Amino acid sequence: MKDQILQALRDLRDYALKKNIEATFFYHEEDSYLMRFANSAISLNTNEHLIRLEITAYDDRRRASYELITDLKNLDEMKQGVDITAEMVKHATPLSYQTTVPTFKDSFVDENGFDSSLATLSNEERLEYFNKAVAGLETDDIKLSGIFSCGANTIAQINTRSEHTQYFKTSDAQISIVLSHSMLKWEVIAEQSAQKKSDLNPTALHRDLSYLMEHYQNDAPQQIPLGKYDIVFGPAASGDLLSIMNWIGFSGGSMKRGFSFISEEQVGTKVFSDKFNLTDDPACLDTFPFQRDLMGMPRSSFPIFENGVFKCFTWSQDDADEYGAQPTGHTVMHKSLVLSGGDKEVTTLEELVAMPRENDILYIPFLHYMNLVNPSKGLVTASSRFGALLLKKDGSVVVPYNVRVTQSLLDIFGDKVAWMSKSQTINNTSQSYGSRNPTALIVPIFIQVNDLDISHSNSSY
Amino acid sequence: MRKKLQEQIERLKKAGATYVDARWYPVEESNYLMMWNGNLKNATSSRESGVGIRALYKGAWGFSASSDVSNIDALFNKAFDNARVAAERVTFPVRLAEKEAVQGSFSSPNRIDPFAVSLSDKISFLKDLDEKLNKPGVTQRVSELIFMRKQIVYIDSEGSELEKKIIEVFPSIQVMGVDSQGESHSRKFSPARMGETRGWETVNPQLFSENAERIVREMNEVLVADDCPKEDRSVILLPGIMYLQTHETIGHALELDRILGYELGFAGGSFVTLNDFGNLQYGSTKLTARADATLPNSPGSFGYDDDGVPAQDNLLIDKGILVGAITGRQMVEEANARAHKQIFNGSGGANRATAFYRVPIERMTNINIDPGNDGSLEDIVKNTEKGIILDGDKSWSIGSNREQFHFATDIGWLVENGQITRVVKNSTYKGETVKFYNSLSAVGDQSTWEVRYVDNCGKGQPNQIMQLGHGIPICRFDNVRIGE
Repeated sequence: MKDQILQALRDLRDYALKKNIEATFFYHEEDSYLMRFANSAISLNTNEHLIRLEITAYDDRRRASYELITDLKNLDEMKQGVDITAEMVKHATPLSYQTTVPTFKDSFVDENGFDSSLATLSNEERLEYFNKAVAGLETDDIKLSGIFSCGANTIAQINTRSEHTQYFKTSDAQISIVLSHSMLKWEVIAEQSAQKKSDLNPTALHRDLSYLMEHYQNDAPQQIPLGKYDIVFGPAASGDLLSIMNWIGFSGGSMKRGFSFISEEQVGTKVFSDKFNLTDDPACLDTFPFQRDLMGMPRSSFPIFENGVFKCFTWSQDDADEYGAQPTGHTVMHKSLVLSGGDKEVTTLEELVAMPRENDILYIPFLHYMNLVNPSKGLVTASSRFGALLLKKDGSVVVPYNVRVTQSLLDIFGDKVAWMSKSQTINNTSQSYGSRNPTALIVPIFIQVNDLDISHSNSSY
Repeated sequence: MRKKLQEQIERLKKAGATYVDARWYPVEESNYLMMWNGNLKNATSSRESGVGIRALYKGAWGFSASSDVSNIDALFNKAFDNARVAAERVTFPVRLAEKEAVQGSFSSPNRIDPFAVSLSDKISFLKDLDEKLNKPGVTQRVSELIFMRKQIVYIDSEGSELEKKIIEVFPSIQVMGVDSQGESHSRKFSPARMGETRGWETVNPQLFSENAERIVREMNEVLVADDCPKEDRSVILLPGIMYLQTHETIGHALELDRILGYELGFAGGSFVTLNDFGNLQYGSTKLTARADATLPNSPGSFGYDDDGVPAQDNLLIDKGILVGAITGRQMVEEANARAHKQIFNGSGGANRATAFYRVPIERMTNINIDPGNDGSLEDIVKNTEKGIILDGDKSWSIGSNREQFHFATDIGWLVENGQITRVVKNSTYKGETVKFYNSLSAVGDQSTWEVRYVDNCGKGQPNQIMQLGHGIPICRFDNVRIGE
């Protein structure tokens, strides 16, 4: 299949060259399987096989793109796409800056992240996984929801500047299991990310769900008072916070456009807690990485924060072209963010609950519907969801109704960070908007941040 | 192609499927143009075609889609196989509410097809706007045009065959500036739907020109304004934020699949229960809301939904009492069965898919609030002792059961003793949905009512981005916390 894809791209390149069209070609193929559960049934079982081709034509400072959903057999349709793009670019207005057209110095193939046995997991295997993960946990009132999403993702590129190609193929799975009480409306979640079939471990999810359910079934729920709390964030919450920081923090383009809470003057200065070490690490296969970016630039470990000191903005090629910066290998569909672990030896929720504590601790595993209130201040807001716990200082545990946190990332990851767990885990942040793009971050399992405000507390689930 | 689809539908029926439908998109096109600080950053077009198949077997759905229609048998088989496996885990077998078999067609009304307008003309429009926005105080300026055109052929095993041709146009402008503390602020404009059509003719250069001047002026006022106070006030929501309030806390809260727990794994549920229909005092008696898919000029009107059910105008909230939901054929049957009574009388015609490769789910149509009799904005302000007028959707975050929310807006104007006093920046408000709507104390008249569109409503897994509308008046709510 790889040869067929690359040959089609070469044919398109030849076609463009013959017509004297400067162009780049971006091929994306997904074979996506999604088994969705709701009300303890399979509510949707779907498969989509889609091939997208994006053609971008350049004429000095003019640029235009055309994307089509197509099939490898339809080379004529793709060539028509080249003609359409070439016509579009004639009408485009010139940019104020010179855009860089990629020139691949050699051909590159990366299939290290592909495991065919995961990509082609059968319907029966997906169902069996779910049945194992929730065995004995469902009742007439406690219902199962969630997804088992898996598939294969292929990206291939060529351009008219060179005959070389880039080819990336990955497999991925994202599993999310929710158990909720249909009358009381509480919800608990367990999630897993897989890059290869052997990563799948339904027993681990069963253990996590069982533990949370024990509390949600037996502990009395409470509307907790507003005020300051020491909060332990779980991996999904931390992953969400880092994802939004990727947008309004260390992206060079966002900073130049006024969407960042970090300024150019802060490069080399301390922004966060000295416990905060964030790296973009394409060697980490669990993040479905790009070893080269889409401009052909080799990618290696890229420190963004070291001991809280801000090292460098990340620059995509287009932003670098526009603002006169050096690209940093970040013309990618996603980064491979890794937040280093700290020194706290705590790896499970059971251990966290059992830890001695001087104050009450609010455990928030998941932040729902995060949005930016003020990007210049790094101010975000979101609500807790899916299994929060209030760990009382006397050792008892209370189940809190959901609360709202409206805080600056500068506070969340600043000097209020008390500790981070030594062990890390994978937080799969894949979204199913548009085309498949498996994405994951590596985060400490728990991060405790002291003295954060709760601005709203629900009176029920 | 239609014949092939019909043959395959028959074949699956004979194989044991209780219901099958096919949505064939011969063509779907889009065009996105975006000028940022004078640079045409995006000049993008797209085209796609393909088929999506939905099969029901032993009470379970299977779905399959592909752009490759050369092996249509395999595509139907895949959908059927997916249903067969799904049938191994069924708790409430899917039943579909009755509907008439329909042979019909729908074309969205438009005078000028935007795809017939030259790219040069479109870019020239953006360039003119960019120049108008390029004024002192403005650090970033963005002008956008989005066009969509799709043809959908729908065939089902109950004898319906429909063809829809839909065109949408979404223009907008935005400016940003930085205040003396280094904080960014923005102001934006996208036009309300004024006429009866929704083609290129809705892109009115004069209207954009006037509003470009206005948003630059208002953003500059924000740049030198004080922060929004942190206190309780009456909030007067202009259409530029009232549409989103309606969208998030009436629209999503009343999607019947959410109410029944079909989105709990991702988007969330709803505080509304089946017992609430006919009983819940959702808002004050001034609140009447409806799902109206018959407005001609809005993307929430599409002729027939993707169950093949004709467009309808259904009450959701009648003088404050919850009476209806956003529904499709499957969910109304399940809701009535679960409630052991007939809450819903057939599908509300709101089951929609965003593309051939996505399965239909309950989506908003045009979720509207009826105009009231509290006059114009001036009348409402005159009758407000301590308030704030809010406009522009800066940020929104809603609880997972839509029970509470936090919004930030682009601009606020404080109102004291019936007079607008000054502009404030970083304006926010928050509340609990039912308490908030029960504090609705004024609803503007027809002169304040506008149809706003949403071009990017996300829901479902795999995620679907949908286009829809909201007809809303200016509304005032009392005792609302602002400034947090």
